[in-house]
Amino acid sequence: MSNTGHQPRSESPLHYGLTSQVTENASSSLVVREIHQGCHLTLRGDSGDTQFAHAVLQVTDVTLPTKPGTYIRSGNTSIYWLGPNEWLVTAASDALSLESALRQELKGHVAVVDVSGGQTQVNLSGEQVGSLLKKASVYDFGSWAEASDQSGRCTQTTFASASALVAKNADGSVDLIIRRSFSDYIMRWLLDAAR
Amino acid sequence: MKQLNRLPNAGRTNPDQNINFTFNGKAYQGVMGDTLASALLANGVDVVGRSFKYSRPRGIVGHGAEEPNGIIQLGSGAATVPNLKVTQVELYEGLEASSVNGWPTINFDLMGIMGWFGRLMPPGFYYKTFMYPQKLWMTYEHFIRKAAGLGKTPVEADPDVYDKLNQHCDVLVVGAGPAGLVAAREAAEAGARVIIADEQSEFGGSLLASTQILNGVSASQWVADMVEQLKRYNNVQQLPRSTVFGYYDHNFLTILEKRTDHLGLSAGKGQRVRQRLHRVRAKQVVLATGAFERPLVFAHNDIPGVMQASSVSTYVNRYGVAPGSKLILATTNDNAYQTAIDWHTAGRDVVAVVDSRQSPNGELVEQVRALGIQIAVGHGVIEAKGGKRVRAAMVAPLNESGSAITGEVKRLPCDLIATSGGWSAAIHLSSHTGAKPVWDESIVSFRPGDSKQQECSVGACNGTFGLRDGLIEGATAGAKAAQLAGFGLGAVQFSPVELVELTQEPQQALFLVPHSRPPSRAPSQFVDLQLDVSAGGIELAVREGFESVEHVKRYTALGFGTDQGKLGNINGMAILANALNQSISETGTTIFRPSYTPTTFGAIAGRDVGELFDPERYTSAHRWHVEQGAKFEDVGQWKRPWYFPKVNETLDQAVNRECLAVRNSVGILDASTLGKIDIQGPDAAEFITRMYTNSYLKLAAGKCRYGVMLKEDGMIFDDGVCACLSENHYLMFTTTGGAAGVLAWLELWQQTEWPELQVYFTSVTDHWATATVTGPNARKVVAKVCQDIDLTPDQFGFMDWRDGTVAGVAARVFRISFTGELSFEINVPANYGRYVWEALIEAGKEFDITPYGTETMHVLRAEKGFIIVGQDTDGSMTPADMNMDWIVGKNKAFSFIGQRSLSRSDTLRDNRKQLVGLKTIDPNIVLPEGAQIVSDPKQPIPMSMQGHVTSSYYSANMGHSIALAVVKGGLNRLGDTVYCPAADGATVPAQIVSSVFYDPKGERQNV
Repeated sequence: MSNTGHQPRSESPLHYGLTSQVTENASSSLVVREIHQGCHLTLRGDSGDTQFAHAVLQVTDVTLPTKPGTYIRSGNTSIYWLGPNEWLVTAASDALSLESALRQELKGHVAVVDVSGGQTQVNLSGEQVGSLLKKASVYDFGSWAEASDQSGRCTQTTFASASALVAKNADGSVDLIIRRSFSDYIMRWLLDAAR
Repeated sequence: MKQLNRLPNAGRTNPDQNINFTFNGKAYQGVMGDTLASALLANGVDVVGRSFKYSRPRGIVGHGAEEPNGIIQLGSGAATVPNLKVTQVELYEGLEASSVNGWPTINFDLMGIMGWFGRLMPPGFYYKTFMYPQKLWMTYEHFIRKAAGLGKTPVEADPDVYDKLNQHCDVLVVGAGPAGLVAAREAAEAGARVIIADEQSEFGGSLLASTQILNGVSASQWVADMVEQLKRYNNVQQLPRSTVFGYYDHNFLTILEKRTDHLGLSAGKGQRVRQRLHRVRAKQVVLATGAFERPLVFAHNDIPGVMQASSVSTYVNRYGVAPGSKLILATTNDNAYQTAIDWHTAGRDVVAVVDSRQSPNGELVEQVRALGIQIAVGHGVIEAKGGKRVRAAMVAPLNESGSAITGEVKRLPCDLIATSGGWSAAIHLSSHTGAKPVWDESIVSFRPGDSKQQECSVGACNGTFGLRDGLIEGATAGAKAAQLAGFGLGAVQFSPVELVELTQEPQQALFLVPHSRPPSRAPSQFVDLQLDVSAGGIELAVREGFESVEHVKRYTALGFGTDQGKLGNINGMAILANALNQSISETGTTIFRPSYTPTTFGAIAGRDVGELFDPERYTSAHRWHVEQGAKFEDVGQWKRPWYFPKVNETLDQAVNRECLAVRNSVGILDASTLGKIDIQGPDAAEFITRMYTNSYLKLAAGKCRYGVMLKEDGMIFDDGVCACLSENHYLMFTTTGGAAGVLAWLELWQQTEWPELQVYFTSVTDHWATATVTGPNARKVVAKVCQDIDLTPDQFGFMDWRDGTVAGVAARVFRISFTGELSFEINVPANYGRYVWEALIEAGKEFDITPYGTETMHVLRAEKGFIIVGQDTDGSMTPADMNMDWIVGKNKAFSFIGQRSLSRSDTLRDNRKQLVGLKTIDPNIVLPEGAQIVSDPKQPIPMSMQGHVTSSYYSANMGHSIALAVVKGGLNRLGDTVYCPAADGATVPAQIVSSVFYDPKGERQNV
């Protein structure tokens, strides 16, 4: 970036939607937090190609999940299975550097796309999370096994009248990864549902 | 006021807790645990409404969803609820109810005096009486509706909150009577996820009013134990006050749970949810919905004081209310004798049991005999006497088949006639699945037909009326359902419930009790009480030629009411079968459809109301637009700035100002909503070339190209610019509304037709925020915030794009123009969208940079003749129709989608509608969009339509109005005058001109 005295200001998708970003309160039956990760990359490639999976592991330190509807996590980096040849990589690091590192290592017909500006992550915790999901989506989240620190279940599904990637964490909380343009609507919907 | 009919044995009510309520303006007192029905009966209220057609006084007949008469309006104002059944409203302090039917009052009724009125309404009255003259229908309808009194819907907004839950379970048990309870327990024990729902306030079903001993304890204790047991399973969800009202394909069922209705109107105070709609997807369903007792049809059987035998027992045993003092029980079966025992036990007088059978000797019958109660065997109650309350029953001996009177008619004084014609299985939900009910003569009832879904019926709703058999059936089905859902081995785990059941003798199939006169001459023998359909009416329908049960239903309105004929339907069909001289199975039944009971619109809408009705999508600069006072336009789900009015500015003034600013200096548009698709892969260029009409094979990195996409029929469906980012890497822009459709279209062709092409698509619409800086001063503005791109025209030309930095943020800058002016479309990651937007506004200050919205965007592009797909096209326009033949590649190696359709004779026709400009002769008239175009305004109707106006604006830059239109053969008619007839009768003449009004050579964008 050129040094011209500009001081770029970043606003997460829920910069305005969630005024009190930290509403952690032990007595709350539902806690909603935006966890805006720096890096969201869409990854496309052939999961049957061992080179591809190996390169992904090399760069991200995370094993590429090939089981439908699962994610694998290591530290702050998670890879979510979105389809037979499609994954979402989220990480706390800078998107550009991870993107170029992946481009460097990955060979053949692959795609790496930075979607960091278009998504955000919302964490839902508290005992009412299960009911909330029932209200939001027709998906049967109750059939999911518990997650571990390293892996768990995820799915892309309807969420209210929008969509979300929903993933269950080891602590029982749930992460939603949602599109920026729908994030105000989803937050409005969550606050209404939680009252 | 004293509750005359309250018994010392309070049943399941709490007599110490009084509840005050009003009915039709009069104050009464009930007790905790009452329904409105039991409280009214306790207070000796006989008349609860007036009948639909004849306006006859009507009293409470049943005790549940089958009640046809006690239809009330609850409360007033915004929260008022129409058409509730008194039997289903739980009493709460301060309840206010009034009859829906009874104008002007239920006790002094204008229509009651006008007894002739009903004669205007024979069966088929809608079709006969009020058919002609058609003009008067509105008048008739108003009168009929007022007279019919269908209740009042509130006119204010609903103050209550409703929501919806999506549920999944392995086994859904519908009905928490004895069979349902044991079914749920077996399924739960096997480990299945179970939901058990029941419409009543507490579980137990028929056992709540039963004197039966089960496992050595009272029925109500056994129920309490079962509920407690089920609670211990964390895989069981109990839903009381929850009616399963619909059963749809794929084992999808809907449940209406009433959460606060029993606490009063708006008890949730707009915070707690009043009603919840459960949308259940169940692997297996066990229906245990019970049965409805079938009333006997006899003359004047609608007088208050004629009730269902089981209802009388329920009021006595469950609510501690005796709805009268002197009972006559009319029956065709042993089962109803229990009512005589209950009445006798309550200390009231049983005048007689009138049994249509010649020699009943079952164990219950003998018990009644032993109590010294008179039993008139081989007799029937042929008529009730009385006005607003039964005063006597006319009893006559019947022949063995029950079809004729064989002797003298006797008058027996009484104030209550309880009737039982046997039981009809509640096959409603099974019918919803499409299962065709089967008539079973041995039980005088329909049974559920063959299953169409993963379900089974158990207990009374399966025609298994005995308690012991029902319990066995329920338990077996529960274990089996769990097994089918993948839990357990299907064996029953719990030992059978121990109980002593009396043996019963066969019932008699009797529906219409004969009268001394035939049905057409006898006093009305009512079949459907709510809609005043009589046996005579059904026979009349047959005489008039109706044979199909579905036709007779519609002609007579049998089963049309809010009770959906739960009491009357079977009797009606039996009477119809008799009139047609055929069996009931030949006659068949009408099909039950959802909803089982009326369901509120509020619950169906849930929280999808107000601002949550449809998502609003925002761009990253949305708050800035709001702060600037922008007016917004809905574009799909997006909120786009429409225009940015200054103080006191009208739409026209603001748009004129914005248009002039762009052409004379510089404007800025938030174009973030445009669809953006990242395309990567070795075959990307080939794939893109197949999608657009023109070629992208030679598009170099750093270059952009405009293209249109066609469907297979050769018609335009989207357009936009596609840029080559690097080798095998492209960015495709789509229209705002077309974004999702185009991505799906690309995936469809790649996945199903050309899987051999190696290419990946990813939506990046939300990732990029786009600010379009456009106008003669655009370069100067961009130069102030972007130093690392050489902006000079020979280095960065029209339809080029460059990577660079704008206001310190990594950006892609495109020289694409939708205004015809020098333009820079600046794309940055959306997290920096607002920041960069504000930096551009700041940089543009010295040039008076003007934010503009979609309206100005539309005007500016129309000045240039640029089309908007979906506005100037409508799915029936080819590129040639849009005068865009230049964009169709004629020499592409591979075909493109839609190519073949472009050489069809129809797409090659000369007189297709073609895009042209229209210039009104009066420069100030702005044609309405959609206006029809004719060649000769004096041509007699029907006129020959030549086309229509697709876009129309006032152009401040041109100083006159401009319009785009599609006109038959329009491209060969430049210079012709055409006419647009307006809605007000005026005709606006206009000249056909080129669709490009401004800068026809396109020089201004190319600088």
